Amino acid sequence: MKSLNKILTGFIGIALSFLAAAVLIKLQGNSPIDAYRALFNYGLASWFSLSSTLNNATPLILTGMAAAIAFSSNVVNLGEPGQLIVGALTAALLGYYLPLPGVLGIFVILIISGIVGGLYGGLAGVLKKYYKMDEFITTLMLNFIADYLTLYLATYPFLDENSYVPATHMIKREFFLPTINGINISFFIAIFMVFVSFFVVNHLKKGYEWRMMGHNYDFSKIGGCKNEENLIWVMFYTGFLSGLAGALLILGGTQHRFIKGIGANYGWDGVMLAIVGGNGVIETSVFAIFFGFLKAGGIGMEFEVSIPSEFTMVLQAIIVLLVVATRSTISYYSDKIKASLKAKRVVKSSE
Amino acid sequence: MSYIQIRNIYKVYPPDVLALEGVNFSLEKGEIHSIIGENGAGKSTLMKILYGMVPPSSGEIFINSQEQKITNPNVAIKLGIGMVHQEFMLVPSFKVYENVVLGMEKTKNFGFLDKEKILNELEEITKKFSLAVDLQATTSNLSVSAQQKVEILKLLYRKVDTLIFDEPTAVLTPQETQQLFKEIKNIRDTGKTIVFISHKLEEVLEISDIITVMRRGKVISTLENDNLSKGELAKMMVGKAVMLTVKKVPKESGKEVFKCENLTAVSNKTKINLLSNINIVIRSGEIVGLAGVEGNGQYEIVQTIIGEIYPHQGKILIEDQNITGLPIRKRRRLISYIPADRKRYGLALNAALTENLSMTHHLGEKLSKFKYIMDWKKAKKFAKDLIKQYNILSRSINDVPKSLSGGNQQKLIVAREFSLDAPFLLLDQPSRGLDVGSIEYVHNVILEMREKGKGILMISADLDELLSMCDRLYVVRKGKIVAELDPKIHSKEEVGEYMLGAKS
Repeated sequence: MKSLNKILTGFIGIALSFLAAAVLIKLQGNSPIDAYRALFNYGLASWFSLSSTLNNATPLILTGMAAAIAFSSNVVNLGEPGQLIVGALTAALLGYYLPLPGVLGIFVILIISGIVGGLYGGLAGVLKKYYKMDEFITTLMLNFIADYLTLYLATYPFLDENSYVPATHMIKREFFLPTINGINISFFIAIFMVFVSFFVVNHLKKGYEWRMMGHNYDFSKIGGCKNEENLIWVMFYTGFLSGLAGALLILGGTQHRFIKGIGANYGWDGVMLAIVGGNGVIETSVFAIFFGFLKAGGIGMEFEVSIPSEFTMVLQAIIVLLVVATRSTISYYSDKIKASLKAKRVVKSSE
Repeated sequence: MSYIQIRNIYKVYPPDVLALEGVNFSLEKGEIHSIIGENGAGKSTLMKILYGMVPPSSGEIFINSQEQKITNPNVAIKLGIGMVHQEFMLVPSFKVYENVVLGMEKTKNFGFLDKEKILNELEEITKKFSLAVDLQATTSNLSVSAQQKVEILKLLYRKVDTLIFDEPTAVLTPQETQQLFKEIKNIRDTGKTIVFISHKLEEVLEISDIITVMRRGKVISTLENDNLSKGELAKMMVGKAVMLTVKKVPKESGKEVFKCENLTAVSNKTKINLLSNINIVIRSGEIVGLAGVEGNGQYEIVQTIIGEIYPHQGKILIEDQNITGLPIRKRRRLISYIPADRKRYGLALNAALTENLSMTHHLGEKLSKFKYIMDWKKAKKFAKDLIKQYNILSRSINDVPKSLSGGNQQKLIVAREFSLDAPFLLLDQPSRGLDVGSIEYVHNVILEMREKGKGILMISADLDELLSMCDRLYVVRKGKIVAELDPKIHSKEEVGEYMLGAKS
């Protein structure tokens, strides 16, 4: 019921955002109707566009979930971009050097890349436990280190000399994740992780402790939960999800190598998604697929109506603002209306 | 017609909490009018409406036969109505007189404070109402009761005719309470009206001219304070007869359950001894009280026992196990703990009741399957049983504590902690802020635990509570145990003298 509420109010906010964005499109001299038709055609209308929506959503599901789990545990993990990119580089290197056969190799690459992302996240947790450094700052700063470190590694030690831009070698063909009817396997892996995460958060004792830590830090501490240790675990698990997102970009994407800018904006989009989804695992995933639709359809707007693809990002930002705003507005006013109705009823019945 | 008349007030807090239901209430000049009722009876809400802090859903307010719309506290002050809140609203770094005039400063040329004029005026007021306040002191150096006087002075300076006190004695020692009562009576004698909100029966009977009893958002009755008994008032408040005295059967105490030896804790910042050489022994089947003026080391004793801070010296034993260096998680097998600040330490206000009740229990095997997985089926059953057993009023186990009353929140904590089956119970202010009915309930469960042979340490600011509940009493002052007393022999006044250091 609660999560249905979050999704419903979310979609009301999205509808309002589309209205607001229509004004912006009109101001630029384009037709909003044509633009939205293109958005729909490229994002949803055919099997091909639907599959491209789902492929676009894959990394977002994982980073969104990572942010949601961290935030709902009261852990400010803003390091998804860094954790993702570290995972991606690990996958790219393993994909080129790992002497294991197909499926087994894929499995090992995904796990190890996830773990590397997890360790990179866990580092912030360790810094918090032993040096009381705020993870809000450390995760942000570790993003820069990840950014430039991976760029350095891809530019010098692991550079593919045949490439025109800083990039690593392409991974072995046998590690490419296959595509079924246009949908890459990585989407199903992401969905599988949604179920895993749901189980971890809602059914594991650890997940219970994480959520209670998110509700009230002092309460869970006095209750006997090891908060500082749990914080490291949250950082590790959410880092794992982000690292996995990075690995799937390499194995399942189109480049199959680590190349500058491969992380795109997936990490930050994940943070936005967690906000829109109210930090729920399922809700965030639903909205991740919607953001995937915007990305896929945004290309349509660019092709057909020549609205720059950056506009999708503007639209996303409007959505985040309006969804959060509508959600609190709706609950504030519906509570007020409920109260005044009840007051009227009580006054009447006593007369 | 009365000086102030409140007619037919209704208040619904969003989304659907009915706080006041058709309340009529009136005040005369020169009376002390108490409003008593349990928590959630609506007494504070009613006064907040009169003071303009909360808008009513419907109803009218008349002052001197004129209808007034009191939309905010500034309007109320202009109409001569002021309120002393439970939490003081003072700037700690300001001098007392600066706090008093803040917001309506008298100035000389170029906006400088006209200090001389202000001080003269204030001295006149303090003399007139015989309030002993040092106007030049820095506010943060003042005791709680002195800060309260500053709040009163603030209102008198604004020339209000009606002063509303919202549970003013909750933060005071017995001696300070007496002092406050004297001052309140002085103020009344100058013709001003006092509204005194409280749920403490003795105090209300002692100070009031008129008493209004509220229950569940309604005024039950308004009485003259003449030959009223505590029992009658309590019955009106709760709606049924209440046991005001604790029935305690004598019990032989057994083996030592809890012991701390030479407990010493030093502040990391100031290097001052917070605790020095604390020795406490508690046997099974024994309730031991810790009395003291707030801030004399009780907080630190609780913190060292539960494991939030580690002592610099000494050791703590529970059932002969040395727990001095153990982390909180390991201690919780031996300690049931009711924290003083229940919203901060006792509950996750927005998590479901099941999740709140599972805390700490989840550490064992009782609510789990395959060791690492929560068994929510068992947890829900466990929660349902506790809610039934402890009579916690809630809609379902998916309710959140935020929507429960204070009494039910406390019952929730008591239910969780007392079902832990730990040999030692650490109860920090277990009945603070609760109404008569809930206090009776909590006391009875504590006595049940005593029957079961638990060792119990109870901290309370309410001396009557300690004297009636405890088998033995330690008095703590400035981080030291200054006396070990027997409630059967020593009186409340004697305990108070030890607390204040008049006797040692």
